[in-house]
Amino acid sequence: MTATADFIPYNAVNTKSSRSFERQAEYAPEDFHDHLFELEAEGEWIVQRVPEPYVEVMTKFGRKKKIPLELTWHHKSCGQCGHIPGYSTAIFWLNRKLNFKYIDPTDQTSCTAWNYYASATSNAPAQAGVAMRNFAAAYETGYFPLIHCGTSYGHYKEVREEMMHHAEMRHQVRDVMKKLGKPLVMPEEIVHYSEWVHAVRDRIAALQTRDFSNLAVTVHPACHYYKLVQEDAIYDPDIYGGQRTATVSALIVALGAQVRDYSTWFDCCGFGFRHILVQRDFTRSFATRRKIQVMKQEANPDVVITHDTGCVTTLDKSQFVGAAHGLDVGVPVMSDAQFAALAMGAHPYRVCQLHWHSTEYRPLLEKMGIDHEKAWAEFQEDLKELKSGKKEYLTWEDVG
Amino acid sequence: MTSDTTLIIGGGPAGLEAARLIGDLGQKAILVEKRDALGGIPIAEHYAALTHGFRSAEEAMNELIAAARANPTVDIRLSTEVVECSGAAGDFRVKLAKAGNGAGETVNVGAIVVATGFQHFDPGRETQMYGYYEYDDVITLADAEKMLKENKFVTPSKDMPPERVCFIQCVGSRDRQIGNEYCSKVCCGISSKQAIEIRQQVPGAKVFIFYIDMRMYGYWENEIYWPAQEKYHVQYVKGIITEIIRKGDRLLVRGEDTTMGRPMEVPMDVVVLAVGMEPSKGTKDVAKILGVKQNKYNFIDVPHDALDPTATSAPGIFVAGAAAGPKDLDDTMSMAGAAAMKAAALVTKKARAMA
Amino acid sequence: MGLFADKYPDVSYEEKSRLWEQVKADPRFPTYLYGCYECGICVAACPSARFYDFSPRKIAQAAAREDVELIFEQMNDDVWNCSQCFSCNRCPRQNSPGGIITVLREVSVKNGLKSAKQALEGYSRIIYKIMGTGTQVSPDMLQPDAFPDWGPQVRAVSADLDVWRRALPPETLHTTSTGWQVDDKTIIELYLIWHHTGVMDMIAEVDEGLHMILNDVMEEKLEEAGYEV
Repeated sequence: MTATADFIPYNAVNTKSSRSFERQAEYAPEDFHDHLFELEAEGEWIVQRVPEPYVEVMTKFGRKKKIPLELTWHHKSCGQCGHIPGYSTAIFWLNRKLNFKYIDPTDQTSCTAWNYYASATSNAPAQAGVAMRNFAAAYETGYFPLIHCGTSYGHYKEVREEMMHHAEMRHQVRDVMKKLGKPLVMPEEIVHYSEWVHAVRDRIAALQTRDFSNLAVTVHPACHYYKLVQEDAIYDPDIYGGQRTATVSALIVALGAQVRDYSTWFDCCGFGFRHILVQRDFTRSFATRRKIQVMKQEANPDVVITHDTGCVTTLDKSQFVGAAHGLDVGVPVMSDAQFAALAMGAHPYRVCQLHWHSTEYRPLLEKMGIDHEKAWAEFQEDLKELKSGKKEYLTWEDVG
Repeated sequence: MTSDTTLIIGGGPAGLEAARLIGDLGQKAILVEKRDALGGIPIAEHYAALTHGFRSAEEAMNELIAAARANPTVDIRLSTEVVECSGAAGDFRVKLAKAGNGAGETVNVGAIVVATGFQHFDPGRETQMYGYYEYDDVITLADAEKMLKENKFVTPSKDMPPERVCFIQCVGSRDRQIGNEYCSKVCCGISSKQAIEIRQQVPGAKVFIFYIDMRMYGYWENEIYWPAQEKYHVQYVKGIITEIIRKGDRLLVRGEDTTMGRPMEVPMDVVVLAVGMEPSKGTKDVAKILGVKQNKYNFIDVPHDALDPTATSAPGIFVAGAAAGPKDLDDTMSMAGAAAMKAAALVTKKARAMA
Repeated sequence: MGLFADKYPDVSYEEKSRLWEQVKADPRFPTYLYGCYECGICVAACPSARFYDFSPRKIAQAAAREDVELIFEQMNDDVWNCSQCFSCNRCPRQNSPGGIITVLREVSVKNGLKSAKQALEGYSRIIYKIMGTGTQVSPDMLQPDAFPDWGPQVRAVSADLDVWRRALPPETLHTTSTGWQVDDKTIIELYLIWHHTGVMDMIAEVDEGLHMILNDVMEEKLEEAGYEV
């Protein structure tokens, strides 16, 4: 057992290092945008530009990335919408509270990458076809795609690489798009919603109504966010000395909570794509032994915050079995979007939909100063109205 | 106007040796050094012992410096940079200025030796997660040299001698992502030398070296590698570390023990990154000013390599030492001799032709 | 012939070579495998390496050596242990062992290897869901018998599923058999993509029954929309 003094809060970790890294422009690698625009000039495809207003953030090797603020077409996540819909709801709620115009499309398919990585019952042109179809659907509305899932995001970055460098595949996909009556469109940037949250974190903090200064947080960065096409992820010299991705951690800092480090920070959560469905011993062992237990023992956090569907699902759902086996688990898990929403006063059930989560989260809500019993009672009233037919759906107007 | 003087740019081991040799021939040399002291990297970065031979770096450099200074025909200019160059072999006009100050004087030289050397790779650009800018206990070879020279090798965050130290080889070299695909040649030898020094200075410390290959050319094998293992019990593990992260009050390093074929994570007090060589700012600046070709990695390009290791793309301009790529001290001293010889011969030939 | 000979049928050397040639022919392969100097970074970063007798380094090594016997073994066994996290993309040579595995798996599926069929047993309902409806998991999949290790909370979800879904503010989420509401036109486009890129053929190789069901569902919708496939 470790005492409180052994926990390594983020601030102490950073200020302890006497060095600061200065990135030199001369070492910046080639910017893939050159190739993107070259192909557009050659008539190979249309590059959908990031709409203004946008915020510029820094990526791993210093390249600036454009993050749109609004006019976003929300590319939803299967696992979020299917199993933890509070995650998607929170993302939309944040957009609404910040008065940003967005579209929640029905003309959207899954990226299908979960299946691809799980079963390989697909191929590169098919995966690219699915991606391009979704991008074209966004382009047709004039709104810019914002990707909800970490795997969709990483997978689409890979598709972009393949489409840029393999002319044969690009032409094959273009032909398929023609058959669908769709143009071949590549967005100027592939943007993950957590990058958007990062870009607007100060606006979120400005609207914060709940005090998070007594909360200890461990951050789990999603593999597919920063390990696929590694140069294209957000890094910030003020966060981890620019040595680890800043996404999520920067938000936590902006909300005034304490980020605590732990020694398996870079480890995968163990989702495994097919493992979580059909080889489950791997997933639940990994999630509990390599991640949750280590976090608990080294950092004792009040909550684990992550920014991907699979990670939230894996880390949250695996803890039941862990507890049954006497492992040191029991830390609630949620997304950065839900956390930010709670900071801004969102209802834990109407907006964050925490009742879909598995690991006990009520002590966390108490620490946030939320009367969860009252909130649950309110939500029960909503359910009553829905059951009785008085109302068909809970609406945005209802949730505030 | 044809000149009988050779310009030597850089006052590290290569430049000093070239200057001394030209002076020994009774010829004129101007040696310019950007810093305010001679001795190059070994002095500026407080090297302890030289690889191999274990001679004190400071003592060896002082010897070279004294030899260069002893020659009356060698004109040494400190805090001076080359800012402009025109002309051709036998007749170059080079403008020198006080470092940082544009205004200067123009000198006429017949041959130029570029000896502007290297700089160490900055670990902030590393592909793997080494946390050099997060943890003070992650250090580079240069940081280690400094501590070893003062005979005070400690865990920086605790200011106490470490119990467990490891080296990680190939940092910033042999990496396609970073773009430095080459091998920096000397780091295996230097790390092993430092490992021996640590074992000598801190006998209670366990020292590990995590490597991809151990590059122990020639006599390094029997003079450094075997003694490191056999006499000093340095542990060599084939498998490079990928992550360094704090656990408790130590650093956890994660790699694969490829011999045993399994992932491994072990705690360390100090981690030394064996950072590779890159062209120094001086090398890059001077290459452009002199108009000599640089290679893919921005070192001075040597067109004929094996048979003519000191040639550059411009006749009359020669290169010596790490400005041409990763070099060990033997290479550097040999190149300095060859470059000095070629410069002197060129200048002599031109003088005869004029007569 | 190897430890796993009883798990899957052995084939001739020529057949193993033929499968390997298909792997190499994938346009992505040259960027997934350069050379390997056995540094072990991929294994160090790999979660599967800690739980299975699995090594991305051995995948890259076997591929680099073109050791078709070993590759065939790996294709029938090891490749399904990979968790596709791509931590191995940290490779300093810029190899992607995870990428090589993706291609190995695809070739395995495309050729209807018995081990692929076995690996995907129990997974076919998911393939049906994603290919047929356009979302990978749906709320109505949250049944206690489907996820018994997720605890009693799943029971709570399934008990009130319909009303809980109607208690979601986003309009597209008022669904139970799909993750969100997908337009018919969109589904048709997805079906056309599967047909035009050879995916339906791959499914036929690896799961005939599933292929039949999917085909029926897709054909019906496509015909209604006026397409002939």
